[in-house]
Amino acid sequence: MPWVSLLVIVPLVAAIVLAMIPQRDRMLARTVALAGTGLTVAVSIVVLVLFDRGSGALQQIDHVDWITSLGISWDLGVDGISIWLVLLTTVLFTLGMIAACQHLPERGNMFLSLLLLSEVGLLGLFTSGDLVLFYVFWEFMLIPFAFLIWTWGGDNRRRAGLTFVVYTMVGSLIMLVAIISTALIARDHLGYATFLIRDIQGVPFSGTASTLLFAGFVLAFAIKLPLWPFHGWLPLAYGEAPIVVTALMAALMSKAGVYGLLRIGVPLFPDGANTLLIPIAILALIGIVYGSLLAWRARTMRLLVGYSSLAHLGFIVLGIMVFDQMAAQGAVLQMINHGVVVAAAFAIVMMLGRGTGTEDMDRLGGLAKGAPRLAVAFLIVTMAALALPGSNAFVGEFFILAGVFRQFAWMAVIAMAGVIYAAVYMLRMYQSTMNGPAKGVADEGRKTELRRGDAIVLVPLILIMFLIALWPRVFVDASAKATDQAIAPAQVVAGRPLIQIAPSAAATRELP
Amino acid sequence: MNVVVGIPLYVMSAAALLAIVSGAFTLPGDLRRLPEWIGLLGVGITLITLIAMWDRPQSGFAGEIRLTHMSMLMSGIILVATLATIALSWGEPAGAGRRGEYIGLILAAATGMMLTVVAGDLIVMFIGIELLSVSLYILCAIEVTRERSLESGLKYLITGAIGTAILIYGFALLYGMTGSTSLNVIGERLAEAGPLTSQPLLVSAMALVAVALGFKASAVPFHMWTPDVYEGAPTPITTFMSTGTKTAAMGAFLLVFTGAAQGAIADWRVLIGAISAASMVVGNIGALRQTSVKRMLAWSSVAQAGYLLMGVAVGTAFGAEALIYYLIAYLAMTLAAFAIVILREREVEDGDQLDAFTGYGRRRPWAGVVMTLAMLSLAGFPPLAGFIGKFMLFSAAIDSDMLWLAIVGALASAVSVVYYLRVSIVMWSPAPVRDVPERTLRVPRPVAAVAVTGGVAIIALAIWAQPVIDLCRDAGASLLP
Repeated sequence: MPWVSLLVIVPLVAAIVLAMIPQRDRMLARTVALAGTGLTVAVSIVVLVLFDRGSGALQQIDHVDWITSLGISWDLGVDGISIWLVLLTTVLFTLGMIAACQHLPERGNMFLSLLLLSEVGLLGLFTSGDLVLFYVFWEFMLIPFAFLIWTWGGDNRRRAGLTFVVYTMVGSLIMLVAIISTALIARDHLGYATFLIRDIQGVPFSGTASTLLFAGFVLAFAIKLPLWPFHGWLPLAYGEAPIVVTALMAALMSKAGVYGLLRIGVPLFPDGANTLLIPIAILALIGIVYGSLLAWRARTMRLLVGYSSLAHLGFIVLGIMVFDQMAAQGAVLQMINHGVVVAAAFAIVMMLGRGTGTEDMDRLGGLAKGAPRLAVAFLIVTMAALALPGSNAFVGEFFILAGVFRQFAWMAVIAMAGVIYAAVYMLRMYQSTMNGPAKGVADEGRKTELRRGDAIVLVPLILIMFLIALWPRVFVDASAKATDQAIAPAQVVAGRPLIQIAPSAAATRELP
Repeated sequence: MNVVVGIPLYVMSAAALLAIVSGAFTLPGDLRRLPEWIGLLGVGITLITLIAMWDRPQSGFAGEIRLTHMSMLMSGIILVATLATIALSWGEPAGAGRRGEYIGLILAAATGMMLTVVAGDLIVMFIGIELLSVSLYILCAIEVTRERSLESGLKYLITGAIGTAILIYGFALLYGMTGSTSLNVIGERLAEAGPLTSQPLLVSAMALVAVALGFKASAVPFHMWTPDVYEGAPTPITTFMSTGTKTAAMGAFLLVFTGAAQGAIADWRVLIGAISAASMVVGNIGALRQTSVKRMLAWSSVAQAGYLLMGVAVGTAFGAEALIYYLIAYLAMTLAAFAIVILREREVEDGDQLDAFTGYGRRRPWAGVVMTLAMLSLAGFPPLAGFIGKFMLFSAAIDSDMLWLAIVGALASAVSVVYYLRVSIVMWSPAPVRDVPERTLRVPRPVAAVAVTGGVAIIALAIWAQPVIDLCRDAGASLLP
């Protein structure tokens, strides 16, 4: 069975079926949406079971020629990095779908259908082995997100949607030019036209070409992440989108950029990556500090989490760009952590916003009294988000900081600021909403208390956090080979000593 | 003398004449649609003839008419556009009292377009361009009781006449330089004559021809007539102009520049590249603020001319291949988009305005889907036909060291997404449909058929791109010796 292709086909079919369901039949729409995402989770678990941990290369490849004269093919597979992202995507989309189904907006079938289409884009992108196919899914993901913002967003949705689309399009079309240029240079070297990443990987690009092509790709990735200063669309889009969409964008769409960097940017253009190491690392560091400061001063909870995401993604980019095995493995782990934590944080924002009718922190307070269970969940998520030792995010951040420190100590020092700030803004969010005197209506707390429907969304996320916190090795080991291979060429270029002790094994032994 | 080569042209001319003649009689109710049927039959037979002749490229009339793979494929594109135009005109109020002339002129214009792309000689090409232009002047103004339609025809006539003058001047210079009007001979002279190239006279000849053909293709800076003429003309005729005329103009560009003037490529490459870049930028920016979908599509057609001209600017067989593929894709998306506009125009007054489409997708979901597909494809979103076309054009540009052109194209496309997406978003927006249809004409089945066929083709051309690309490859290869 072409399981990996099924990952893309199942939600696509479900989305098409959903679009054709009459609007009145909301129950049927819910059933189809949940069945579609649920089935996708099942397929992703099959892929995980069949996954061979011993190999760092792309595996379970489904290859069908598409446009042979141009060298474009349908080529999907998974490697150690994408397997976790695939699983994260399918699980988060199922939870997002559950949340969306509980409070279905008007024309719910279209809403759910578009969500499924964005899942198609993400899953395709995380599994593409062909550059053009990668681009196809990259763009495929944009349309549903844009429609979701534009149709179901807040008051300022038009501007938000427009800004989001224009920002991303500029990046992606430049990436398209870079993709074509890459393949044309590779064709001269290989003697045949191809867009397969694994074929292009061995091609030696000249220094200038490598730098320019890397820059062309990174622009698109940086906008999607977003990396400072390409984050102009973030407050608008995150602020205006329906919160389920915001959560999925922050948790998963941002990973598309990181994944591209790790899967295409660094391995294909090690020279260029090495040349641009310092500039990109500086942008990431600015992002960490700037994002943290913005999060600290944010008025609404949604923007606070959104800006914190900017800071966290800075960490991840830094972890990849220093070309250190430990840092890179930390970055991969942190991709998963951030996805889970930020989704949980947005879920809590959603529940608070729904119960009280506002996401403005100044107007909330003392909710813990009426909602003790929510408070507990919130506290756990807060601790994970500020990377308290023992939490899942701590493992990832520790790996990144340790790896960065042994390459560029000064970067680690600046990045540390982000860790400290994280405690400040996350605790501010928790304290101002949960503790202190009650504001607004007296009984507000009880309205926000966790109900069964909310628990179905939140509890799995918290369980995953514990799972990663307790057994990070399970995750790191499966992806270690692929990660090492991704940064190995860049390490050679940068003249890094290849450290033989698997850092994952060394580090996890001391951790709980 | 090989007379077989002219069969497609004979059939088309005969159909045009028959249709016009049929208009002279008052037809009884059963035969009311006789002109349309003559048109469909004529185009159908011509298409079949071309398919039958595909494996036997040939030339005749002393090389003045050449049926190469390129000219046959482009004639095919023109014929499909004609077929669709006749279908879109089904029940069209424009020219209601004079169906014979209306259909006859469409067929005459199509004959002119075909003559332009099969031309092996500058004179034949000129006659083709004139035939198509004159027929279209009249067609634009055929709604004699509507001021905008007359204005449209007049504007097209005046600018078109200037274009013609420039074209003949350019051809004359070319003849003066090479001593022949035959494209083959011109090609040979330019190829062997190193000293001819870079001469001011040749450069001006190339510039004049580029300008004149740019008029027909509505490329910047000769695009000014496009929005007004497109808006004023009856919408089926607008559709015909933006598909058929564009195909003919691109065919002429390919024949004169990529084909005949291949030897002087250094003289015109940057020129065409600049026209292409300017069209992409100006067209896309111009479309941004339009409130009429028809006007927006007119500006978009300017931008699309820019993308297409990339395929000429590179001057390679691959460029021609990419251009022709994009023309096919462009045909599908333009037909789909205009079919939906026509549909809406039949239903409400001012149906071409953007706000007439508010919430339209909720009332007619299939129309909404088709329009969305057309817009996404025009914007170049994968995995649709427009994307594959742009991809090939960008590849051709980068492959011929015109990276700058590809980058301009990429940035211009990013701008275009704004207005294309706006239409599709408006279609699905929750606001209610503006009002009760004022002119509740029934949706004519042929219009719906064109829309749906276009929508299906947008997807099919991308998924099964390879067979189509193979055809385009043959066509591109036949252009160069």
